[in-house]
Amino acid sequence: MNRLHERIIIGPVLLAAVACAGTHVPPKALTDARDDYLHARDGLAMQLDPTDVHEAQLALERAERAWEASPDDPTAVDLAIIADRRALLAQSQAATIKAYDDRNRAAAALETAKAAQLQSARAQLTQSEQTLGATQMQLNEQRAAAAAQQQRLQDLETKLKDARQTIAKIASVKDDERGMVITLSGEVLFQTGKWELKPAAMAKLDQVAEALRTKEQHIVVFGYTDTVGTRDHNMALSQMRAQTVRDYLVEKGLPGDLVTAQGKGPDDPISDNTSVEGRAQNRRVEIVVQPSK
Amino acid sequence: MMPRFFSVVALGAMAGAFGCADSVPPPHDQWAAAQADVGRAQAGGAPDVPDARLHLQLAQEDLQRAKQLIGTDNARAASLCAVARSEAQLAFSLSGQARAEQLARSEEAEAQKAGR
Repeated sequence: MNRLHERIIIGPVLLAAVACAGTHVPPKALTDARDDYLHARDGLAMQLDPTDVHEAQLALERAERAWEASPDDPTAVDLAIIADRRALLAQSQAATIKAYDDRNRAAAALETAKAAQLQSARAQLTQSEQTLGATQMQLNEQRAAAAAQQQRLQDLETKLKDARQTIAKIASVKDDERGMVITLSGEVLFQTGKWELKPAAMAKLDQVAEALRTKEQHIVVFGYTDTVGTRDHNMALSQMRAQTVRDYLVEKGLPGDLVTAQGKGPDDPISDNTSVEGRAQNRRVEIVVQPSK
Repeated sequence: MMPRFFSVVALGAMAGAFGCADSVPPPHDQWAAAQADVGRAQAGGAPDVPDARLHLQLAQEDLQRAKQLIGTDNARAASLCAVARSEAQLAFSLSGQARAEQLARSEEAEAQKAGR
């Protein structure tokens, strides 16, 4: 409707202005007013602030008429200035409305972004809590396992002590770098030159086997002789004796894969081979319980 | 068109001959209204915005000239009061526009920062 109104009014007024231009050049204020009005009419102002654009149009019509009526009257220039300021005002008002719209849109976008950030932070928090819970559970399990292991070690320690006390009653027990060493005299175990066990020896080995049965440790049975006789013979004899003791212990319940036998002959004497007592001490079987790894 | 043009000029000449001050009352109300618009533009922050400051100055100059003419040329004084009002109203609007645009810019920057 405004456009129609414009064509009806502005058209003839501009025509008249052009007619006047034959004798008078329109003042700059009026040409500015025309330009600024057209800018407002064809721009954002018409969409956002049509009322002020219409005001500007009316002001321009008044200015055109005044200039047409009396081009030399300073009041006509005043009206042209007023018309120009009206057009600029319409543009400024529209720009203000647009700025507030932009601001509201940005505020909405900011709200959305903040909500998304909050949601993401919450999700992260939940994830962290879950991870923490799982770690806590793992830690508890590890603690329980460590406590159980500790208990097992204590039990082993106790059993070892018990075994040692039992064996100490029937044989000499000592510790060296090889582990716990149980030394049985050759006289007690075997007849001279033989490797079959004496009945009394079996009773003693029964007690040793009983004491060691609960232990899961490597055991090496070493056989030793004195220096009487050839070395080959002594090596063979000590090996047979060690093997006999080893087999007996396994027969009595010690794990076969953990118990081995080794003949050492006259090596590693523990006493002097020149005396009868010394040789007797050297003829022996050592059961070595190696420390658990 | 031409006869009307001449008649307006003749009327103007006659008015000039008999003196405008008598036919147009002193524009005290218009001057006060323009002064109020200038005050509103000043309070609205026009001195801080270059475009707005320019139109505020023009309004103040027009008001000054209008004041000098009251009593001797009331018609021109009234016209200048009207010009001053339109300048002051534009200054007020331009300062509001600058403020709104500044708000929009900072809000957009913040939204962009948060959206990253």
